[in-house]
Amino acid sequence: MTSSFKQQSSNARTNILAKLKQEVEGSDYSKLPEEPSYSYPELAQEELLAQFIGHLEANHAQVIPLKEEDIAKIVSEQLKQRGISKLLYGKNALHSEQMLTLDDDIAVEAYDFTLKGNKEHLFNNIPAGITSSKAAIAATGSIVIWPTIEEPRSLSLVPPLHFVIVEAKNLYTNFASLINAQEWQNKLPTNAVLISGPSKTADIQQTLAYGAHGPKELIVLLLK
Amino acid sequence: MSVKSIDPNESKYAASARNFRDNVTRYLANEELKNNFRGAMDYLMDKRKNSFPDANELETLREQCKLIKQRCLVKLPHLLEQLEVNLEANGIKVHWAETINDANEIIAQLIENKKGKTVVKGKSMVSEETALNDYLEARDIECLESDMGEYIVQLADEHPSHIIMPAIHQNKKQVADLFADNIEGFDHTTDVDALIGEGRRVLREKFCHADVGITGVNFAVAETGTLCLVENEGNGRMCTTVPDLHIAITGIEKVVEFLDDVPPLLSLLTRSATGQIISTYFNMISSPRKNGEKDGPEEVHLVLLDNGRSQAFADEELRQTLQCIRCGACMNHCPVYTRIGGHAYGTVYPGPIGKIVSPHMLGLEATNNLPTASSLCGACGEVCPVKIPIPKLLLRLRTESVKGKHDGPQIMKGEGSGRKSIEASIWKGWSLMHKYAFIYNTSMWFATRFRKLMPNNLGVWTSVRSAPKLAPKTLHERVKARNKKIPNKVANNAGSK
Amino acid sequence: MTSDTTTFNTQHLRKYPAKAQQVYLYGTCLADSFYPDSGIDAIEFLEQQGIEVLYPQGQTCCGQPAYNSGYQDEAKAVALAQVAQFSLDIPIVIISGSCGGMMRHHYPELLKGEPGIENFCERIFEFTEFLVHVLNVKLNDQGKPEKIALHTSCAARREMGVHITGRQLINQLENVELITHKYESECCGFGGTFSVKHGDISGAMVKDKTQNLLDTDVVRYISADWGCMTNIDGALEYQKKSLRGEHIASYLLKRTQATNKQQGK
Ligand code: SF4
Repeated sequence: MTSSFKQQSSNARTNILAKLKQEVEGSDYSKLPEEPSYSYPELAQEELLAQFIGHLEANHAQVIPLKEEDIAKIVSEQLKQRGISKLLYGKNALHSEQMLTLDDDIAVEAYDFTLKGNKEHLFNNIPAGITSSKAAIAATGSIVIWPTIEEPRSLSLVPPLHFVIVEAKNLYTNFASLINAQEWQNKLPTNAVLISGPSKTADIQQTLAYGAHGPKELIVLLLK
Repeated sequence: MSVKSIDPNESKYAASARNFRDNVTRYLANEELKNNFRGAMDYLMDKRKNSFPDANELETLREQCKLIKQRCLVKLPHLLEQLEVNLEANGIKVHWAETINDANEIIAQLIENKKGKTVVKGKSMVSEETALNDYLEARDIECLESDMGEYIVQLADEHPSHIIMPAIHQNKKQVADLFADNIEGFDHTTDVDALIGEGRRVLREKFCHADVGITGVNFAVAETGTLCLVENEGNGRMCTTVPDLHIAITGIEKVVEFLDDVPPLLSLLTRSATGQIISTYFNMISSPRKNGEKDGPEEVHLVLLDNGRSQAFADEELRQTLQCIRCGACMNHCPVYTRIGGHAYGTVYPGPIGKIVSPHMLGLEATNNLPTASSLCGACGEVCPVKIPIPKLLLRLRTESVKGKHDGPQIMKGEGSGRKSIEASIWKGWSLMHKYAFIYNTSMWFATRFRKLMPNNLGVWTSVRSAPKLAPKTLHERVKARNKKIPNKVANNAGSK
Repeated sequence: MTSDTTTFNTQHLRKYPAKAQQVYLYGTCLADSFYPDSGIDAIEFLEQQGIEVLYPQGQTCCGQPAYNSGYQDEAKAVALAQVAQFSLDIPIVIISGSCGGMMRHHYPELLKGEPGIENFCERIFEFTEFLVHVLNVKLNDQGKPEKIALHTSCAARREMGVHITGRQLINQLENVELITHKYESECCGFGGTFSVKHGDISGAMVKDKTQNLLDTDVVRYISADWGCMTNIDGALEYQKKSLRGEHIASYLLKRTQATNKQQGK
């Protein structure tokens, strides 16, 4: 069975590529027209930050500027306001030592299990998660996450409340400038995600609703 | 909505596309549907407009993205090979399918190899194209749509009426009724938050237990071997993160050359589609779970589907069809789509893009009515982010449809199938009459003299309109008469014939 | 809320000749057989601007009906016959946006390789475009105050980019108030053979268009395209409504006539 579909796929590959090549093989790529690009105005760091925060807030995220030493305090407060007493985090991740100083009545759990075998636990017992971030984008109000062994991708996806720590020094003008500054071409991880707000949908009569499948709330802890 | 086709190799959509005229009659009579669409399209048009405050930026981006897609198409076979090499190097398996059945078969076998029983699906129009759900369900594999709109449509046993907003034809009351009929313990409400909450509850349960996630792809980056997915809900991330097996399926035209090609395309895509400067999630997948990683699928597969795309590719003009990034703006701005709704087309892709792409997938014989069902108003071409000249392609398809016998190679499956000999002779006669001014003027002289004899009933035209009335004298005659009164004019007009 | 799309004005991309002494008028087949008044009015208006208007008797139809139906060869024969009628190197003014679009934007491909075709297409001007960009007309409104609506054909809007010139001309008329109607930029549903082949869809479109016009308090609507007007007026008449369209050439002539007569001689 398996080999038959492999054979079929390989025949399809040959046929498709042959058909396409027949049309364009030998095209002179140097004759391709030059592609214009729009030059966006240069903004000062303060303007970029304002843009970043503005877009995120417009997309229903909460942005809290703070200092690193206040992370534990703010996270504790935010959790208590919502009546949440449990937080999932990644051990040995950036700023993860801050989690050890959360208020006593908040249980912190490290993501040191594999998802397989623990899906029910992650889906049903974890009300909130916290992650660090790789970068941020001003033009679209996006936070870039490159999940790691310490902070798996489901940590920013499954818990209904997602805290994300963003460092202002990692803010880039737009997606294009970020890709080039960090030279993504050579080192993309298993999974990279741009997050620009809590999960949402407008699939029912164009009415916006938050918390479609992923986090219902996104709280951005912005380290200046 | 499930119109079964007779030929087992034919897509079920060929049969429903053939019913276009009947569908139109039915949907035009449905006021509720019309209101649902009008409201939705107004909303989307406004959103798009507001997201492009700077006309210069918009036009530059459109030109840039058109050229990006055209470059990627000129290099397509080469880029597909590069994509395959880089994906495989990253650990993602690549499969190729010429037909929808081949694609379905590959996917079914990949699932069965892993003994998968339940599938959660992210939004994928290509899997709609292959009618994958039907195929898998016939093999006892449960397939659940997880995009909220797709989920609603699946509950209603329908297919999407819009490529971006699948359930746009339903209002919240209809969705509430649907949930009440299908979900046990659901308390009837038209509160959208509550409805979405209910969907969330049901679907998270499914994500938690599904064996397989199936999604589409928005851009496949050849340079890095990366699959990019655009979404707001997070269901795409769920499908690509939680189950052990992730299968992505996409058309061969979705490949882009460089990572740098992605930002402008992404920006135009989300703004053209829903007026968002970016979607909530932009998900880039470059490998299956690596050693030590705690989540993510063990296996990732990509199925590349042709299904008529190489036919469009073979003709330089028709190739532009493949520039499409599936934003849906053309349908949002289409006065025909707004009135008849997405289901009337009978095809997977409705609206203007559906009219130009479906003939390649289903053949012209099944889709002859689509290219003619346009006033050629040009709204679609005006908003298309990659500048596909949709009206021009519609004209081209009309030409292919009525093409007479010829010795050249076949350009399209079903070409010439729309030719009716009576219509062809009418146009021959029309051409003769308008080619020779003498015949034309004589006919007009008679027509205007005997205008009282002209029928007031011109078939469909006069079912909502009165017939136009011929003037007593033509403009030709009146100019002639007028010039006689002004002597120096005669010479001039005579000299210029 | 309007459904206006982001229309890009392409007129700045075009080079306009200095004021012409002589022009051709292309009357179009619809005006010829159904609405000759508008052709005569266009001629008179241009003459009052001091321009000599030539009207070749050999002109028939631009070929659009066959072209839009996929009958390229048949359209080509007719198109070539038109080109032959306009041999002098002077502007060709067309009183219909969609025929203008056909001749200016579709002839180059349809008649590719035919001698002189580029020059012919370059000489095509839609009536309002010619008035604004070549003649730079200054209108002196002599009429009573009234409210009107403007329907710009899709071809005029998107192929010729002349929805703006029509508006500019109307705005010059001091006593005329231009009222915007809902979905102003949306197609009226004509589309030539589309209105016959898919009469039900076309009918739904023109019903909405007429309703949106009727929802305003205008006394008439103005257009520069007889295709749309045949469609819209036909629907209005069928609905037994009194609102009608008037071709912009006739309207401008009527509104300005008194002055022009005084100034003329
Ligand atoms: S044809 Fe253009 S407007 Fe329509 S869906 Fe494709 S990219 Fe969007």
